[in-house]
Amino acid sequence: MPRQVYLKQLSQLQDTVLEMGSMVDRAVDRSMAALLDRDASLAQTVVENDHAINALNFSCQNEVIALITQQAPVARDLRLVVSVSAIMTDLERMGDHAEGIARIVIMMQDEPLVKPLIDIPIMAGHAREMLRDAIQAFVEQDVDAAYRVGARDDEVDGLYDRIYRDLIQVMIGDPSTIEPSTHLLWVAHNLERIADRATNIAERTVYSATGNLPQMDVSSY
Amino acid sequence: MTNDIRTEVRIDAGAERETPVTDTPTEEQLERLEHRMAGGGVDVKSTVAAAAAGSPRRGDTNAIALSLEDAGVWYGQHQAVQGVTFDIYQRATTALIGPSGCGKSTLLRCFNRMNDLIPGARVTGKITIDGVDIMGKDVDAVQLRRHVGMVFQKPNPFPMSIKENIAFGPKRLGLAKSKSQMEEVIERSLRDAALWDEVKDKLDEPGTSLSGGQQQRLCIARVLAVKPDIILMDEPCSALDPIATLKIEDLMRTLAKDYTIVVVTHNMQQAARVSDWTAFLLAGEERTGRLIEYSPTEQLFTNPRDKRTEDYITGRFG
Repeated sequence: MPRQVYLKQLSQLQDTVLEMGSMVDRAVDRSMAALLDRDASLAQTVVENDHAINALNFSCQNEVIALITQQAPVARDLRLVVSVSAIMTDLERMGDHAEGIARIVIMMQDEPLVKPLIDIPIMAGHAREMLRDAIQAFVEQDVDAAYRVGARDDEVDGLYDRIYRDLIQVMIGDPSTIEPSTHLLWVAHNLERIADRATNIAERTVYSATGNLPQMDVSSY
Repeated sequence: MTNDIRTEVRIDAGAERETPVTDTPTEEQLERLEHRMAGGGVDVKSTVAAAAAGSPRRGDTNAIALSLEDAGVWYGQHQAVQGVTFDIYQRATTALIGPSGCGKSTLLRCFNRMNDLIPGARVTGKITIDGVDIMGKDVDAVQLRRHVGMVFQKPNPFPMSIKENIAFGPKRLGLAKSKSQMEEVIERSLRDAALWDEVKDKLDEPGTSLSGGQQQRLCIARVLAVKPDIILMDEPCSALDPIATLKIEDLMRTLAKDYTIVVVTHNMQQAARVSDWTAFLLAGEERTGRLIEYSPTEQLFTNPRDKRTEDYITGRFG
C-alpha cells in the first residue's frame, strides 16, 4: 500500500478528534455534576482543564497545516483534513461553553435554586449524546448518523425554549430571583450552544464524506 | 478542402482573435497585445466569481476548440487508447493526467497528428476542429501543426540564434512581409512568452546558451510566433527546476486567456494549479488507456465523481 506515512497521519488526525471529543464530553459532564452537587472545586477543575483542550486544538491545527504543506492532500483526504480543522475549532468552543457553565457554578456559590433542576440536566444529556454521536459519525464517516444528530437539535432548542419561558415566569413572579434565574438561563444557553456545535460537526461529517456541506438546522439563538 | 487549414478549420470564425495572419494587426489586436504586454494576468475577479459558482474557472463551454468522438490509437496490434470522447474548450487549459502508460501523451500527439510519424500508428474515431476531422486525408499535417503547436518535455531550441529560432516558423510560412514585420513578430512572441526582458540584448546569441527554463520559454515563443490556436504541452516542466517551473506555469495561466492549452503532466499539483479542466486516463491490465473522468479541475481535485480518480489523485493506487 502506497503512502503509508500519509495514511497514518490522516488516521492520527481522526484519533485526535476522538480524544478532543472525549475531553470536551468530560468537561460538560463535570460542569453539570458541579452544578447539580453545587461543587465549586469540581467546577474549578473544569475551568483549569480547559487549557488542555485549547492546547490540543492548537497542536492539532498545526498538524493540519503541516499535513497540507507536506502531503498536499486532495479530494476526500483534503475534505477530511479541512473538516478536522473546523471540527477542532467547534470542539474547542464547546469546551469554552463547559467552562462557562463551571464559572456560573462558581459564581452561584450557595445561592438557592429558583427552580428544581429537571429540564437542564435533560438538555445536558441530549447535548452530550449529540456530541458523542457526532464524533462517532465523523470518525466512521457515517452520513446517516450525522443527519440523525442534526435532527436532534430541535429537541434541545425546544427544551431551551421551555426553560427560558419558565425562568421568565419565575422572574416576573419574584424580581428578587432575577439574578439566580439569569444564572440558570446562562447554563441553558451554554448547553444550547454545545448542541448547536454538535450539529456543525455533523454537517462537517457530511461534507467530509460527500463533498456537500448541508445546512442541517438554522438555530434561532 | 484547400491546403490552408486555417481557412477551412477555422476555430470559431466569429471569435475576437480570428483575423488573417498576414495582414497588419488591427486596432483590436493591438489592444489585446498591449494588454498582454502589460502582463494582464488571470482575471482574479471573474475567476473567484466562477469558482464560487462552482463553475470552471475559465473556458467557454459553448466554444469548443477540439472535439474527440470515440477516439482510439493503435500501435500495430496493440490498442494504446480506446473510446475517448470529450470536448476541449477554447481559451482554457485542459490537463491530461494519469499513471505512466495510460495513453495521455499518445492522445495529446493525436491533436496535431504527431502519431503520423510513428510507423504502425493508427488513429480511429473522430478528432475534429470546428467540424473538420483532422485525421482526414485532405488535411495537411504541416498546416495543422501551425494551428496546433507543441511544446515538448525537454526544451529543444534549434541550433541557431534566439532571433532565428523565433523567425524560423514565420519565415517558412511567409507570415512576415518585411524585416520590420519580422522584428515585430520576434518581439511580440518573446514578450508573450515572458522572455523578452531577459534576452532583448542578446538576440543574436545561440538559443542553446540560455538556461533550461529560458530555453523552454524560447520554445513557447517559437510556437507563439506562428500564431497557433491550440498549444499542446507534453510535460513542459519535467526537466526544469521549481523556479523555472513556476514561471512556465504563470505563463500558461496568462496564455490561456488567448489560447487553448492542452497539457500532459505527471505532476498533479501542477494540473491543479494551471488547468481549468482535467481529464483522467487510466489503462487496465491490457494496457489500453481509457478516459475515466473529465471534470472542471476544482471539482476533480476536491470531489471526483469516479472512485478510480479518487484513488489515483490521493495516491492510493497499486
